[in-house]
Amino acid sequence: MLSPYLLLLLVPSPPLAAFLMLGLDPFFLRRRAVQVLALLGGVAPFFVMLPLAAVCFGGECHGVVPVFTLAFGQSEVALALLLDPMSTLVGLTVAAVGAMVITYAIDYMSDAGVADLRRFFALMNLFLAAMLTMVLAGDTITFFFGWELMGLCSFFLIAYNTGLPQAVAAGRKAFIITRFADAFLLAGLLLLFLEANSVRLDVLIPAGATMTEDRHLVIALLLLAGALGKSAQVPFHTWLPSAMAGPTPVSALLHSATMVAAGAFMLARFSPIVMSEPLVQAIAAAFGVGTAAFGALSAIFQTDVKRLLAYSSISQIGFMVLAVGLGAPEVAIGHFVVHAMFKSLLFLAAGDITHGSDLGTSMKAMRGAARRRPVAYVAYVAGAASLAGVPFITAGWWSKEAVLSAAWNTGPFGIAIWALAFLTAICTAVYAFRPVLEALLPEPEHRSRAPHGHPLALNLHHRARIGSGFITVPLVVLATGSMLGGVMVAPIISFLGAEVPHAPHLPALLAAMAPFAGLIGAAALTFVPSLAAAVEGAHDMRRPTRLDHKFQIWVIEPYIRLIRWLSRDRRPRDADLDFERQVRLIRWLSRGARMDGVYQALVVRPFVNLVRWLSGHRGGGVDPVGSAPVALALRLTQAVVGPLAHDRFDRFWMRSANRLVRIWVMARAIQTGRSRDYALGLALGTAALLVIAWGTTWN
Amino acid sequence: MNAATLSILLLLSAGLFATGFFGLLARRAILFQLISLELMLAGPALGFIAGGAYHGGQTGQAMFVLILILAAAEVALGLALYLALRRVADVEDADTITRLRH
Amino acid sequence: MGYDMELTALILLPFFGGIAALFAGRFGRDAERWVSIAALALALVILILAFLTPGDGRWIAFERFDWAPSLGMQVILAMDGLSGALLVVSLALGIVSVIVSWKITEHSGLLNAALLWTVAASNGVFLSFDLLVFAFFWELMLVPAFLLISVWGHGDREAAALKFLVFNAVAGLGLLAAVFYLGASGEVVTFDAFEVAERDIPHGVQVLLLLGFAAAFLVKLPVPPLHAWLPDAHTQAPTAGSILLAGLLLKTGAYGLFRFPPMLFPEGFATLAPWGMVLGAFGSIYGALLACGQTDAKRLVAYTSVAHMSIVLMGICGGVYFSLMGAGVEMVAHAFSASALFLLIGALYDRTGTRDLRELGGLQQSAPRFAAAFAVFFSAALAMPGTANFLGEALVITGMFQVNWIFASITLISLVVSVVYATRLFKRVVFGKARRSGVVEDLTAREMGPIVLLAIATLLFGMLPQLLMGALEGAVTAALAPVAGP
Repeated sequence: MLSPYLLLLLVPSPPLAAFLMLGLDPFFLRRRAVQVLALLGGVAPFFVMLPLAAVCFGGECHGVVPVFTLAFGQSEVALALLLDPMSTLVGLTVAAVGAMVITYAIDYMSDAGVADLRRFFALMNLFLAAMLTMVLAGDTITFFFGWELMGLCSFFLIAYNTGLPQAVAAGRKAFIITRFADAFLLAGLLLLFLEANSVRLDVLIPAGATMTEDRHLVIALLLLAGALGKSAQVPFHTWLPSAMAGPTPVSALLHSATMVAAGAFMLARFSPIVMSEPLVQAIAAAFGVGTAAFGALSAIFQTDVKRLLAYSSISQIGFMVLAVGLGAPEVAIGHFVVHAMFKSLLFLAAGDITHGSDLGTSMKAMRGAARRRPVAYVAYVAGAASLAGVPFITAGWWSKEAVLSAAWNTGPFGIAIWALAFLTAICTAVYAFRPVLEALLPEPEHRSRAPHGHPLALNLHHRARIGSGFITVPLVVLATGSMLGGVMVAPIISFLGAEVPHAPHLPALLAAMAPFAGLIGAAALTFVPSLAAAVEGAHDMRRPTRLDHKFQIWVIEPYIRLIRWLSRDRRPRDADLDFERQVRLIRWLSRGARMDGVYQALVVRPFVNLVRWLSGHRGGGVDPVGSAPVALALRLTQAVVGPLAHDRFDRFWMRSANRLVRIWVMARAIQTGRSRDYALGLALGTAALLVIAWGTTWN
Repeated sequence: MNAATLSILLLLSAGLFATGFFGLLARRAILFQLISLELMLAGPALGFIAGGAYHGGQTGQAMFVLILILAAAEVALGLALYLALRRVADVEDADTITRLRH
Repeated sequence: MGYDMELTALILLPFFGGIAALFAGRFGRDAERWVSIAALALALVILILAFLTPGDGRWIAFERFDWAPSLGMQVILAMDGLSGALLVVSLALGIVSVIVSWKITEHSGLLNAALLWTVAASNGVFLSFDLLVFAFFWELMLVPAFLLISVWGHGDREAAALKFLVFNAVAGLGLLAAVFYLGASGEVVTFDAFEVAERDIPHGVQVLLLLGFAAAFLVKLPVPPLHAWLPDAHTQAPTAGSILLAGLLLKTGAYGLFRFPPMLFPEGFATLAPWGMVLGAFGSIYGALLACGQTDAKRLVAYTSVAHMSIVLMGICGGVYFSLMGAGVEMVAHAFSASALFLLIGALYDRTGTRDLRELGGLQQSAPRFAAAFAVFFSAALAMPGTANFLGEALVITGMFQVNWIFASITLISLVVSVVYATRLFKRVVFGKARRSGVVEDLTAREMGPIVLLAIATLLFGMLPQLLMGALEGAVTAALAPVAGP
C-alpha cells in the first residue's frame, strides 16, 4: 500500500527539477521559458506541502519515508524523509516564503540578461530544494546534505554580481565562516552517529539525549556552535551584513527568513540533546539574548536599509536561540514561522521601494516611498509593526511575547534575561520604525548619480516590468500573514506539543509598551535634525558627531559617575579621554562591534602571513618542508662526493686515460686503408696463431 | 685412397691457397683480387674433399658444399661492390680506395 | 578458478595497444588515438565482464602461472573490489587522457603509447600479488610518466621530470630491497605475497621492511616532507600527464599502503601506524595551506592533491573500518575530481596561454559552461555533501573519532582550509572580470565529454555510495584482519 507520506519525496523535487533544467546547458531557453520554469519550481512545493500539512494537522503526523538504506559494515545507514509537526510547520513556512520570493523575483530580476537570469533562478530553486530537504530530513546525512548545499547556494548567490569584488568577497566570507561552523556540526553529527550507531533522527536523538558521558556535553556544544555559525550569531555574525551584497530576493529568502534561521531550527530539532545538558542550555540562552541585544543595538545606527535588516535578522534569530536555551523549542519554531513572514516581507518591500534608486539601498532611498510605491510602503509598515511587536494586531507581538514570557517564567536568572530582552525589544522598535519614518521625509533634491548607485539603474522610475502582480501579490500575502499570523502562534505551539507560556500582567504590559517607546525613539532619530545628521555621520570616522555628544550626556556620563561612585574613585577625570572612548563605542556598535577587524587581526592576517611565508613570499624558502629533503640530499651529496672529486685515484685514472690516448694515436698509423695491407696482416696473424697453436701442442 | 695420395692432394691444395694468396697481395686490380680469392677458397675445399675421401665420411663433402655456397655469396658481393666502385668512383685499383680509414 | 586470462589481458591490452599506437599514425589521421581508445575500451569491457562473472567471494578473479620457477617467480594476479575500482579509474582516465591530448601532434604516436604504457604498468601494480612482479611494474610506471613530462611538458620540464624520476626511483629502492629480503628469507625462495604473509617475521624486522615499503609508497602518495616532486611534475606535465599523475600514480601509492603493510607486516604496521597518522595530519594541513598560497592554478591543484592524499594516508593508518573505507572512497573520488580540475585548467591554458591566477578571470560571463564545470568540481574539491569526496572525508573523520579525536579535528580544519583555497581558485578564475586572459571560448563538445563523464562519476559515487562501498568491503575487511589468499 502506498503511504501518503510518499508525497514527501515530491516536495523538494520540483525546484530540483527546475534547477536541473535551468542549469543544464544543452537546452536553449528563452527568457519567458526561464521565468515560467523558475516560477513552477518555486511555487510547486507549497502546493505539495498543503495536503501533507492537512494530513498532519489531522493527527496522522509521524511519517517516515525511507529513501534508501546502506549496509555499512556493522551499522546500517538508512536515509529517510520525516514528516512530524516540526518539519510540517517549518516546511510549509519555507515553501510559502520561497514561493512568494521567487514570484517577486520574476519581476524584480527582469532586467538581467538571460544567462544571468538562468543562473539566478537555477540557484534559487536549488536553494529551495536544499532547504526543504534539510527541513524534511529524517536522518543526519540528508540533513547535512541540505545544510551544506544551502551554504553553497548562498556563496554563489551572494556573489551573483560576479563583476563586483565586494560581492565576491562577501560570498567567500560567508562561505568560509559558515563552513567553519559546519565543521563543528559535522563533528557533532558524526559523534552522535558513532554513539547511536544510526543516522535516523528518530533513533539518534533519543539515544543522544539519554547518554551520560562527557561526550554528551561535547556533542551538545558542537551542535550549538554549528547553529551559531549558520545563524550568524555572535561571534560568527560578521558574514551576514556583508552578505547583503547579494540581490534583494536572495537576502529575503536566504539571509533572513530561511537559511539563516536554519540554525535555530536545527537547535530545536536536536533540542532533546541540548536540553539534557543544562550548561549548554545556559550558554545557548546567553548567546541568544546577547546576540539579540547586540544585533538590535547595531541595527539602530545603520544607514543602509538592507544592513539594518541584516542586523535585525541577527537579533531576531537571537530570540529563537534564546527560546531554545530556555527550554522552549516550540516557541522558537513559532517565532521562526512569524519571523520568516515579516522579515521576507520587509526585504521585499524595501527592495521594491529602493529598486533602481541611484542611492542604492541606503536609508535615503526610502524617502518619498509613500507617494512613489504606496503598496510596498504599506506592506513595509505592516512588516515593521510586526517586527517591533505592536500588541495584539501583529503576529510579531504574539511570538515575541511567548519568548519573553518563557524567559520570565524561568526563575531569577530568567528575569535578568527578560530585562535584557525587554530592552532589546525597545531597540527593535527603534530600528524597525526608522525606515518607516524616513520614508515620510521628502525625496532628496539632487538626482545626480551616486558613485555607489545600482549599476543597472539609470532612472528611478524606469524599470522593466512584467506585471505589477508579481510584486503586489507576494507583498499582500506576506503582509496579511505578518498581521493576522498572530492568531496562529498559540495553535502552532500547542500543535508542537507545548503550552504557550504566559507571564504575569506587569511584564506583559511592559512588553506591550516597548514598541511605542521605540516609536518615540525612532521619531527622535529621524525628525530631530541634529540627531538625524548625527546618525548619518556615525560612519564618518574623523570627528565626533552630535550623536556622540547626546550619547555621552544621556548614557555614558551617568554610567561613568555610577562606576566612580561605586568604586569611590575621587581622582580628577580626563574628560577628553572619556569622550574619545565613547565615540569609539558608538562607532564600534555601528560597525557590528568591529568583529571583522578582530577576525582580521586574529585569524585572517596570521593565516595569510603563514601561507605567504610557506609560499616564499615573505623571505624564507618556497615550500620549506618539501624542499628540506632535497636540500638535505644535495648537502649529503656534496659532503660525500665533493672530497672525492679531485683525489689521487681520480688523477691516476685520468693519467692512464691520457696515456691510452697517446698509444691510440701511435696505433692509428698502422691503418693504411689499403685492403692488401689488411690481407697481409690477416695472413700474418693467422700464421702466427697457427705457429702458436703448433707450439702449444708440441710435446 | 692411401696416405701418399692424400699428402699429394693436401700439398696441391696448399699450393692453390698460396697461389691465390700471392695473387691477392700482388695484384692491385680488384677483379684479379677477386679471382685470387676464389683460388684461395678452392685450396681448402680440395683439402676437405681429400680428407673426406681418406676418412670415408660425409663431413668433408658437406664442408665443401658450404665453401661452395660461401664462395658464390662472396663472388656475388664482391662483383657487386666492384661494379658499384666502377660506377661511383671509376676505380680499378684497390689501393686507391682508402677513405674508410678516416 | 579457471585459467581465464582476463587479468593478464587487462595489463597486456594497453601495453600492446601502446605499441600499435606507436606505428598506427602512418595508416591514417588520428589512427593512433582511435587505436588507443579502442584498446582501453576493450580492456574496460573485459573488466566489466570480469565484474559480472561470479568470483569466489574474496576475489573477483584470480590468475596464477609460473614465470621463472627456479627463481621463485610467479605471476599472481588477483582482483578484488579495491583493485577493480582502481582499474576502472585507470582505464577511464586513460581514455580521458587520450581524448584530452587529441590536439597534440608532436610525436603523437609515442605520446599515446606513453599514456597507454602508464595505464598498463599501473594496472600491473593494482593486480600483482607476486612481490617481485609488483616491484617490476612499480618501477616500470616511472618510464612512460618520465617521458610524458620531459617530452610534452611545459616550462622547465626536464628538471621536473628528473626530479620526479629521482625521487621515485630512489624511494623504489627501499621497496626493492625489502622485497628481495622477503623473497629470500624463507626456506623456499618465493615472492608470493600470500605465502610471505603467513611467515612469522620478527617484529623488529617487520618494522624495517615496512619502512622500505613505506618509503616507496609515501613518496608516490606523496606525503610531506616527501612531496617536493609533485608540484613541479604536475605543473610542468601536459594535461594528460597531470591527469594520469594525479589520478593514477598517486593512487598506486595509496593502494600499496592499503594492501600490503596490513597483510604482510600486521604487527609492524600497528607500531608505525600512529606515525603515519601524524604525517598524514601534518600533510593535510600543510598541503592545504600551501594550496592557498599558490598563484599557478595547476600548482594549487597539485597541493590540494597533497592534502587529500594525506587524508587518505590518515585513513589507512587509522586501521578501523570507517577510516579504511573512507580512504578507499577518497582515493577513487580524488582520482576523478583532481583529474577533472587538471583537465579544466589545461583547457583554460590552451585558450589563454596562462595559468596565473592573477591574469585569469571572468569565465562566468564569457564561458558559462566552463564556469558550470568549474563549479561542480569546485564543490567536489571542498567536499560538498553529495560528491564522493565528502563521503570519503566524512568516513575518514568518523574513523578518526574512533581512534583519536585530535586527528579528527585536524582533518576538519583541513576541510575548512579547503574552502579557502577552493573559493580562491573559483574567485580568481570564474568570477571577476577577464584580465589579461581576455574573452575565453567555451568548452567544446570533445572537452565536455570527459568532463561530463567525470562529473557523473563524482556525483554518482557520492549519491549512491553503495556502488563503491560494496566493492571496497572485501578489501577493507582484509586490511582490518589480515587473511591469507586462496
